Amino acid sequence: MDTVTALLVAFISIVLIKNLVLTKFLGICPYLGVSGRIDMAFGMGLAVTFVITLAGTLTWMIDHWILIRYGLEVTRYVCFILVIAGAVQLVEMYVRKFFPSLYESFGIFLPLITTNCAILGLCLFISLWAVSSLLEAVVLSFGGGIGFTMAICIMAGIRENLNLADVPKSLRGAPITLITAGLLTLAFMGFAGMVK
Amino acid sequence: MSKLRHFLEQSWLLIVSAFFFGVLIAIANAAWSPRIERNKVEKLNRLMRGLVAGAADFKPAGELEVKSPKGQKMVSSLYRAVSETNMPVGWVFTCEGSGFQDKIELVVATDKDFRKFAGYAVLSSNETPNFGDKIKQSYFRSQFNGAPVETLELLKTGDDKIIDGKIVAITGATVSSQAVVDIINNAAGQIRNQVQEKGWLRNAR
Amino acid sequence: MPGKTKTTSGIMKETFTAGLWRENPVFRLLLGMCPTLAVTAAVKPALTMGYSVIFVLLCSNIVVSLMRNLLKPHLRILMFALTIATFVTICDLFLKAFQQRMSETLGPYVPLIIVNCIIICRAEACASKNTLFVSIIDALGMGIGFTLALCVLAGVREFLATGAVFEIPVLALKESGGWFVPWAAMGMPVGAFITLGLLLALVNSVTGKSS
Repeated sequence: MDTVTALLVAFISIVLIKNLVLTKFLGICPYLGVSGRIDMAFGMGLAVTFVITLAGTLTWMIDHWILIRYGLEVTRYVCFILVIAGAVQLVEMYVRKFFPSLYESFGIFLPLITTNCAILGLCLFISLWAVSSLLEAVVLSFGGGIGFTMAICIMAGIRENLNLADVPKSLRGAPITLITAGLLTLAFMGFAGMVK
Repeated sequence: MSKLRHFLEQSWLLIVSAFFFGVLIAIANAAWSPRIERNKVEKLNRLMRGLVAGAADFKPAGELEVKSPKGQKMVSSLYRAVSETNMPVGWVFTCEGSGFQDKIELVVATDKDFRKFAGYAVLSSNETPNFGDKIKQSYFRSQFNGAPVETLELLKTGDDKIIDGKIVAITGATVSSQAVVDIINNAAGQIRNQVQEKGWLRNAR
Repeated sequence: MPGKTKTTSGIMKETFTAGLWRENPVFRLLLGMCPTLAVTAAVKPALTMGYSVIFVLLCSNIVVSLMRNLLKPHLRILMFALTIATFVTICDLFLKAFQQRMSETLGPYVPLIIVNCIIICRAEACASKNTLFVSIIDALGMGIGFTLALCVLAGVREFLATGAVFEIPVLALKESGGWFVPWAAMGMPVGAFITLGLLLALVNSVTGKSS
């Protein structure tokens, strides 16, 4: 049962404590751009979760079974980005063909996701943290996506309410979103040190 | 055949550039990786020299396996510090564990009988600036110089000038301070047992 | 409008200054936010990130511009990704070899230059459609604009968080007998978001536009 606890702990830590958006500064561009409405934010979050889980798993496998085994770590960045770009294109084709209704809800975000720092960032963090098991890599990737979805939905909820508030002209748009994000980060800092 | 032709027609640029870029990366890697290795080794040496006075060389004594309190396996590098006349003057080992934010890696030194700590230095950490980051500062680290190699205890308040097994935490950075104490306790105990088992302590005068 | 001849120096000036102010990647185009927030805790890492981005942007724009007539439409993004990843790898190796401390501070954010929106966007919007000369100028303008924006943000944050700028002490810290109590929050993610938000608001009010 130890493995399950360890995985659960890893999942919680990446969603709350090492949240990709709020503590690692990844995925800010879509975070600012797409968090206008909750339904769009949720769609983006789902798309990111799907791609990030796939990408995290694939890159872990390539990293451990090919790159490290044959001493090719120097090509890590090139391999990772090609895998991610390729995976995103494949996912888009696949979803468009077999799940057209799903494509309606989050397909449009898929091309944007290739340059989403969160995906490459998570893959790099997984290799930086020297994650040793495939299962842990899958759990961390999925958790990263869930954390992103959670952060973006919270932000969307706040922004929907902000639209009704009287924001000074120069603060409208990105500035007030950033300040809100900062306060969210402060709130999430309360979770730090939760996991030893 | 035409499918292959079509494929090649579309992607020849990709294949050729992949080859060309591969060569570029290989050149850069071949040129600079010795230097990168040297940088890593020099950093460790610099920190170790700062911890053990009178040490002229650090002989690698092996990679030991240390278990974290959760049962996770970690690798610690052990070094034997020797003077110019090849007399043992102490032991140095690396250890790691989780801190407030991320992983903390430490380099810890003890005397030659593994009875007292000679101090520690931070290899890498990502703690909160101005708070947890203070684990790098000498006023906290000096509490470990001469402390006995037994289970160290963290206190919130106390006199940090008294050298004993009790360490006073950094104000506002209890978690980071506790992390350092835990990492050192965990690694020192296991490494001392392994060193004793190998009979290396008996030979030390 | 009577013919406005576009001289070479005219294009050069216009493209270059666009990257610096009018279309500053950080303050106006809102590109490259991730490294902006992550590495601006102090000026030195910000500067290192800045010149790394200039290097990658320049090399990538040059290569893409040279290849622009050979690019196949659906493989375009893959080509850009491959090019940028190569130059980022070279840059990362360089930093690890010659700037070890900065490389450690920047950590995983150096490889994240690959997905820095600025570089891909400039490759897509400019280098793949313009001559070599214009692409180079554009890269320099955007790169320097990015570096300046980063340094301004980092300057504010480092000053308030440590009382020093570029590691040179400016204000006397309370613990060394002075008066200034450092604002630790500035060194943390909170400070990053809020400072950038306020700086953006400042730029908006100065230029009279809203982002």
